[in-house]
Amino acid sequence: MRYSKSLLALLYLPICLIAAQDPHQQLVELAKAGNGVIKLDSKTFDLLTSPKRTWEFEPSWNAVGEAWATVPKEHRDNHFFATLDFDNGQTTFQKLGLQSAPVVYVYPAAQGPLVPASGKVSPLKYDFSNGFDAGPLAESLSKHTPIPIPYRDPINWARYFTIATGVLGLLVTLRFISPIIQSRWTWALVTVAVSLVMTSGYMFTRIRGSPFIGNDGNWVAAGFQNQFGQEVSVVAGIYGLLTMSFLMLVMVVPYQTSPARQRLQIYLWSGVFVIVYSVLVSLFRVKNRGAS
Amino acid sequence: MPTAYPLPTNLSPATVANTASLIRIVALALISGAAIASRLFAVINFESIIHEFDPWFNYRATRVLASKGFYEFWNWFDPTAWYPLGRVVGGTLYPGLMATSGVIYNLLHAINLPVDIRNICVLLAPGFSALTAWATYMFTKEMKDASAGLLAAAFIGIVPGYISRSVAGSYDNEAIAIFLLMITFYCWIKALKQGSALFGTVAAVFYFYMVAAWGGYAFITNMIPLHALVLILMGRFSSRLYVAYSSWYAIGTLASMQVPFVGFQPVKTSEHMAALGVFGLLQIVAFAQLVRSHVSSHQFQKLLATGVISIGILGAMAFVLLTYKGWIAPWTGRFYSLWDTGYAKKYIPIIASVSEHQPTAWPSFFMDLQFLVFLFPAGVILCFRELRDEHLFVIIYAVVASYFAGVMVRLMLTLTPVVCVASAVALSTLLDTFVDPTEPEVVDDTRSESGASTISAPGTNGAAPSPTTPATTSKKAKKAAAAAAEHPTTLSDILASSSTKTAKPKGIYGLDTRIMVVLNTICMLAFFVSHCTWVTSSAYSSPSVVLASSNPDGSQHIIDDFREAYYWLRQNTPEDAVVMSWWDYGYQIAGMADRPTLVDNNTWNNTHIATVGKAMSSSEEVAYPILRKHDVSYILVIFGGLIGYSGDDINKFLWMVRIAQGVWPDEVQEPSFFTPQGEYKVDDNASPAMRNSLMYKMSYYRFVDLFGGAQAMDRVRQQQVPKVGPTLDYLDEAFTSENWIVRIYEVKKEDSLGRDLKSANAFAQGKKRKRSKPTTRRRAIL
Repeated sequence: MRYSKSLLALLYLPICLIAAQDPHQQLVELAKAGNGVIKLDSKTFDLLTSPKRTWEFEPSWNAVGEAWATVPKEHRDNHFFATLDFDNGQTTFQKLGLQSAPVVYVYPAAQGPLVPASGKVSPLKYDFSNGFDAGPLAESLSKHTPIPIPYRDPINWARYFTIATGVLGLLVTLRFISPIIQSRWTWALVTVAVSLVMTSGYMFTRIRGSPFIGNDGNWVAAGFQNQFGQEVSVVAGIYGLLTMSFLMLVMVVPYQTSPARQRLQIYLWSGVFVIVYSVLVSLFRVKNRGAS
Repeated sequence: MPTAYPLPTNLSPATVANTASLIRIVALALISGAAIASRLFAVINFESIIHEFDPWFNYRATRVLASKGFYEFWNWFDPTAWYPLGRVVGGTLYPGLMATSGVIYNLLHAINLPVDIRNICVLLAPGFSALTAWATYMFTKEMKDASAGLLAAAFIGIVPGYISRSVAGSYDNEAIAIFLLMITFYCWIKALKQGSALFGTVAAVFYFYMVAAWGGYAFITNMIPLHALVLILMGRFSSRLYVAYSSWYAIGTLASMQVPFVGFQPVKTSEHMAALGVFGLLQIVAFAQLVRSHVSSHQFQKLLATGVISIGILGAMAFVLLTYKGWIAPWTGRFYSLWDTGYAKKYIPIIASVSEHQPTAWPSFFMDLQFLVFLFPAGVILCFRELRDEHLFVIIYAVVASYFAGVMVRLMLTLTPVVCVASAVALSTLLDTFVDPTEPEVVDDTRSESGASTISAPGTNGAAPSPTTPATTSKKAKKAAAAAAEHPTTLSDILASSSTKTAKPKGIYGLDTRIMVVLNTICMLAFFVSHCTWVTSSAYSSPSVVLASSNPDGSQHIIDDFREAYYWLRQNTPEDAVVMSWWDYGYQIAGMADRPTLVDNNTWNNTHIATVGKAMSSSEEVAYPILRKHDVSYILVIFGGLIGYSGDDINKFLWMVRIAQGVWPDEVQEPSFFTPQGEYKVDDNASPAMRNSLMYKMSYYRFVDLFGGAQAMDRVRQQQVPKVGPTLDYLDEAFTSENWIVRIYEVKKEDSLGRDLKSANAFAQGKKRKRSKPTTRRRAIL
């Protein structure tokens, strides 16, 4: 038999939540009992913080393994998926010097026709930098299997359904809200809101995944090229206020028919403008210490 | 007609018009002067030198063009770049910039002005910024009026968002591209307004120039169709739009295909499909309009509408099919990464690694645009108030560009012009309102509301007449306006005719509010100017080839390590010695040291770059065969640990690892360069892969010796370097610059006795070879 010559073992260590009682269920019950707060003792603390707490990875792993089970037999039997639970293999954990879980190792064939071209037969560690999802895992493991793992993300029916109902609902309500959509001021508002949010660094926080506020409770991130999520809303608000007070001076004030009321408004909006602008400049100086 | 302040009465309208036009010309001249002057900080603080990285290639290419002529330049094959592959330069660059400098050079020499080509290259960007100011003036004039145009020109002349890419010495494509962008947009607006095929053609010619000059031409390629599409959707289709768009598209596309680097892309790639699709849509809509004007039957019109819609849907489906079948190339990675922001990091690490492709945080926006950043939404709102066809252009441009600028720092450059235009419209409206001397007559609606204001109103405005009923007021005003429009005799008549156009009475009462608002505006503008000056002089004028620091007494200290090292290479190495470095320094080595390089800033070959990354991140034993196979004689690394220069290779090292991992995932793995705690360290805790890597060894080789037994400190990463420094067996230190920023190593040749270099080195140092285990094991012969 061919596969007996070239044995590829894919060893997957830890987790497996198949204990007598599902720990997750246990935790849910405990949380319920304590009005949402779990009272810990030494046993439940171990339960909560054990290396098994990677709740979300096992389904991904199993999905990839199942996908592999569908490939033709000649290829399927050249590559194996395996798991090792900490409870069953403590010595192996010690041997590999593992402190945390989950860990995925790929053991390439050491002999036979399936030895990698590079000649490296030492085990390779999978890098979880792409998250714990099944897609990237299958993609990266496919580099080591004889044929690519035929994994496909399950179709997210709920999402399609939501989109479809959303579109339908929009079409239905379109008749009623068409005066709003056709108003130029709706569009003006949307346009200005988009511009303000974009110039407040919204895309920065999206792309970098910045937290809303910092760990120390400070909402202004240190550093010129850095920012937190809350800065977007504050800065966009400041910009919006400045824009509005400016527009008041240009678009509302001149149409006042009473001189006294007009004068009051001019002083009011100019005052708002100057004060808010000063706040903005001082905020900028916090971010950029050398500012003029 | 009451006025807030007295006006001269004896001026003829011709005098007013002439004076205004003279002031405009003088103002534009001064703005041009300011735009050029503010970009000369770099020359004054440092010297007339080409900046950064890409400009060094542009400069090198321009020198070829100037010395050997256009034909040679066009067919130039550069064997020293991407050694050993070489680069077909003529077909892989945007020649607009070099051609522009070449034309200027030849022109100046034709009139016997022997200007050096370097000075033309250095001063090209400031010169074109003056032209940009003029183009922005023309563009804004179409949006509002000449006074807004002047403000816009002044803004774009000094705003840091544009200065950052156009200081003297920043000889890059953007230097001329922003002028071309604005002039193309101006011609498009003009063509659209007049329905002029002439202006459409002029727009197409400038579009061609833009295509020849900058890859960002795709912005125009998509902006104009988007504008046309929105006009059609809003039911604003007109024959003017048809003429303008068709003439621009037909001529512009044919012309752009003449650039070899672009070739058939305009009909084959997704970036250009929007323009083609809108062109087709316009034909259908125009045809439908034509037929409708000739038939009257209601049913037939319905049939026609159905026909047009189905043709449109069929056309759209044809596009989808063509894309699916692969006849139309899908979006290229660079453009696609603008929409799917996670794409580049995952699939094209080279693009993600470039610092100007990072997203923009808000302080950058405020630094680059200052008070324009919150003034331009006001301008956009004012555009919505009038909403002529050309105002829609500004609105679309504002939304699209602010999104792009948020995704990539570099695209701040495309946002800046529209910000200047919109803010100028806003600010000039404010000034119009508050400088306009006419006061509205107090309308008598206050009588019913409160008696107090009726009494106070005439008191505060001495000039205001006694209240009259609104009906008679407006009638009187209309009469006066009609009379004035027929025979405008004085300045106040001109003002009166302009101010009574609106139905509602509008204006500002009194003088104090006017003075307050105008003073406030002047203060804001003065603050803007001082901010721009500060940003330009402190942040955007550094050539980055020459670094500046200050001595303890405050005087400037110039750090010139780069040129020192490149000059050493030029003087001390054979002309065909291949130098390996990370791709950032490829253009500089080619431009200043004139030596072949493996990779450079034209990052077209990912595998070649990954090869360099692999050599840098592997151990000496693994890297040596790679180096020898690529004929590498010298390796150049940038090290900032001694003086705290943060842009050094150790900080870029993870990108080298990532790019190498993309091609050789089995041999280079990013996690192995981190400590078990997941930190990026260079001290005692550094991971074995890190400490054995060629990059680490070359950076810290003999670094400890500098400190004479004291603890060696890396001043960039603020970490203590191990007491025992790395040793090198396959490389020799050849040169280290004054501040250790540039370190050059020579790759040793194979040992003449056939030993591997490690044991040869050990032998030379008098170490005994260990005999504890047999060195070779006999293999069983199968």
